[in-house]
Amino acid sequence: MALLEATGIAKRFGGVTALDGVDFAVERGEVMALVGDNGAGKSTLIKVLAGAHLPDRGEVRMRGEPLELRSPQDAWKAGIATIFQELALAGKMNVQDNIFLGREPCRRVLGIPFLQRRAMRREAERLLASLEVEIRDTRLPVENLSGGQRQGIAIARALHIDADLIIMDEPTAALAVAEVRKVFAFVRSLREQGKAVILISHNIQDVFEISDRITVLRQGRIEGVCTTTATDPSAIVGLITGAGHASSRRGPEHASLPAQP
Amino acid sequence: MSTENKRPTLRAGAGMSRELILLGAILVTGLFFTLLSPYYLTQANLEQVLRNSVDLAILSAGMTLIIIMACIDVSVGGILAVAAILIGRSYQAGIGDAGVIVVGLSAGAFLGAVNGTVVAKARVPPIIATLGMMYIFLAVLFLVIGGRWIAGLPDGLSFLIRGSVLGIPAGVFLIAGVYGFSYLLLRGLRFGQHIYAIGSDEKAARLVGIPVDRVKILTYTYLGLLAGLAAVLYVARLRNVEVNIGTAIALEAIAAVILGGARINGGVGSLLGTLLGVIFIKSMQNGLVLIGVSSLWDTVVVGGLLITVLIFDAVRGRSRAREGME
Repeated sequence: MALLEATGIAKRFGGVTALDGVDFAVERGEVMALVGDNGAGKSTLIKVLAGAHLPDRGEVRMRGEPLELRSPQDAWKAGIATIFQELALAGKMNVQDNIFLGREPCRRVLGIPFLQRRAMRREAERLLASLEVEIRDTRLPVENLSGGQRQGIAIARALHIDADLIIMDEPTAALAVAEVRKVFAFVRSLREQGKAVILISHNIQDVFEISDRITVLRQGRIEGVCTTTATDPSAIVGLITGAGHASSRRGPEHASLPAQP
Repeated sequence: MSTENKRPTLRAGAGMSRELILLGAILVTGLFFTLLSPYYLTQANLEQVLRNSVDLAILSAGMTLIIIMACIDVSVGGILAVAAILIGRSYQAGIGDAGVIVVGLSAGAFLGAVNGTVVAKARVPPIIATLGMMYIFLAVLFLVIGGRWIAGLPDGLSFLIRGSVLGIPAGVFLIAGVYGFSYLLLRGLRFGQHIYAIGSDEKAARLVGIPVDRVKILTYTYLGLLAGLAAVLYVARLRNVEVNIGTAIALEAIAAVILGGARINGGVGSLLGTLLGVIFIKSMQNGLVLIGVSSLWDTVVVGGLLITVLIFDAVRGRSRAREGME
C-alpha cells in the first residue's frame, strides 16, 4: 500500500485546467521527484496535497485512509508537511516565530492559548542545530537572512511537524552549492528514517542525484512515472517537453532544463 | 547595515529607538512649554491633559493592532459617534449607568464586526471599506440627532473621568487596563502572532493555515469595542453628544500609531510607542494653547512630524531593499 495515493485529481482556475485527472502515489522511504515544464501543474498538485487548494475532483488517501484536505492544518494532522517554493515566511517576524507559524506551542489556561515563547526559542535552536543551519540569533527578522538560512527555517518548520511525507517545492533553486549539499543530506536522512519525500525540481542533475522515482507532469496530466536508475536525463526531458519519444531526443545538450525565467 | 541588525535583542524589529526618540521629544517639548508657561507643569494641567487623552489613547491601542495587521480603520470616529448617540438615547429612555455601558460597548463591538466582515469577506481594501462605513455612520448621526445636541445627560459615570484611587486618576487605570490587555492579545497569545503574520505576509499566513478572515474580523471587533468604550468615556466627560463628535479622532489615532513606530504597510508596531505618540500629540495640543499659539498649529506640527516619519521609513525601506539584492 502506498503511503500517499491521489487519484483523479482535477483542478481548474477559471478557464485554465491546471490538473486534469492526475493519479499520483508515493511509497514509504522513497524520494519521488516531480518534474515538468512551467505551468505543467506541479505546484497546483502539491498545493492540493498540502491542503492549500481544494481540488474540484479526485481523492487523496494517506495510509489507505481517505483525507479531507480543507486547510494546511488538515494536511499536518495527516502527517504531510510542505515546504512551499515561496517558503511561506513572514519576513518581518523572527526565526522562531516563523518556524512555529500557524502551529504555535501554547499552554491553555482556562481555554485561552498562551504562547510559550521560551519553549519556542529552545525548540527552534534545537531544530536549526540538527539541520546545521547557522543563525546568530533566532530573534532576528527573517527578511534580513540569506536564502540558505530562510530555506533552513522552512525545513525546520516541516521537521517540527514530524511528518511522514515531506513535500519540497524547488528547495534548491535559490541556494549556493554548499547549501544544496545540506538540503540533499537532509533529504537522504529523511529517507533513511523511512519517510517519503516529494521533490519538485527544475534541475535534472539534482533529480537524478537524489530521487528514487520520477513522475513527469505535462499540461496537467501524468506523462510518465520512471524508476530513476532505469532511465536517463534525455528520456525525462523528452517526456517533459512532449517532443516525441525519448529515443529520438538523446544527447548531452538535453541533460538539464532551461532555468526558470 | 542598519543599526537594527546590530541590536538583535529588539523583538520583531519593533524599534525601541523610536520609543526613546518620542520620549525625548515629549521631554524636550515639555521643558519648552514649562519655560514659556507657568501653568504647563502643574498637577491640574497634567490631569487635564490626561482626561483629554483617555479616549484617544484607548482607540489607538486597537488601531495599533489593526495597522500591524496591514489594515486601517478610518471609521472609528463614526463608531464612537453612533455608540455615543445610543448611550445618550438610552439615558433619555431611562436606562441606568450600567445599562448604558453595555449598550455602548456592544454597539461598538457590533459595528467593528461589520467593518471586519466587509474587509475580510468582500476583500475590499480596508481604507475604502471603512471610508464607506464612515459615511454611513455620519448619516446615522445626522438622521438620529438631526443637527441638535443631545444634552444634559446624567453624571453617574463621571467617576470614570474625574475619580481617583489612592490619588491616581481613574484614567490611568483605564489606559493601563486597555494597554495591558492589548499587550496580552498581541504578544502573549497565539492571536497576536497571527496578527503579525497577516501584516507581514498575508499569502504566507494563508499557506500555513492561519484563519486570516477570522483574525481580521476579531481584530476589527476589538477596535470597535474600544471605540464603544471611548464613547462611554466621552459621554461621561461631557454629558452631551454634539454633532461633530469623533470627526478627528480616527486620523489622530493613526498619527499616534505611526509616530509610535508602526509601519503603515504592516508587520511592525509597538503599543508603548503608540501610547507615547498619544501623549506627544495631546501634550503638544495643550502646550500650544497655553503659550497662546493658535490650536491650528498643533495639526501642522503633528502632520509635519507624521510626514517626516513616513519619509524616514521609506528611505530606510529602500536602503534595506538594496542590501537585500546584494
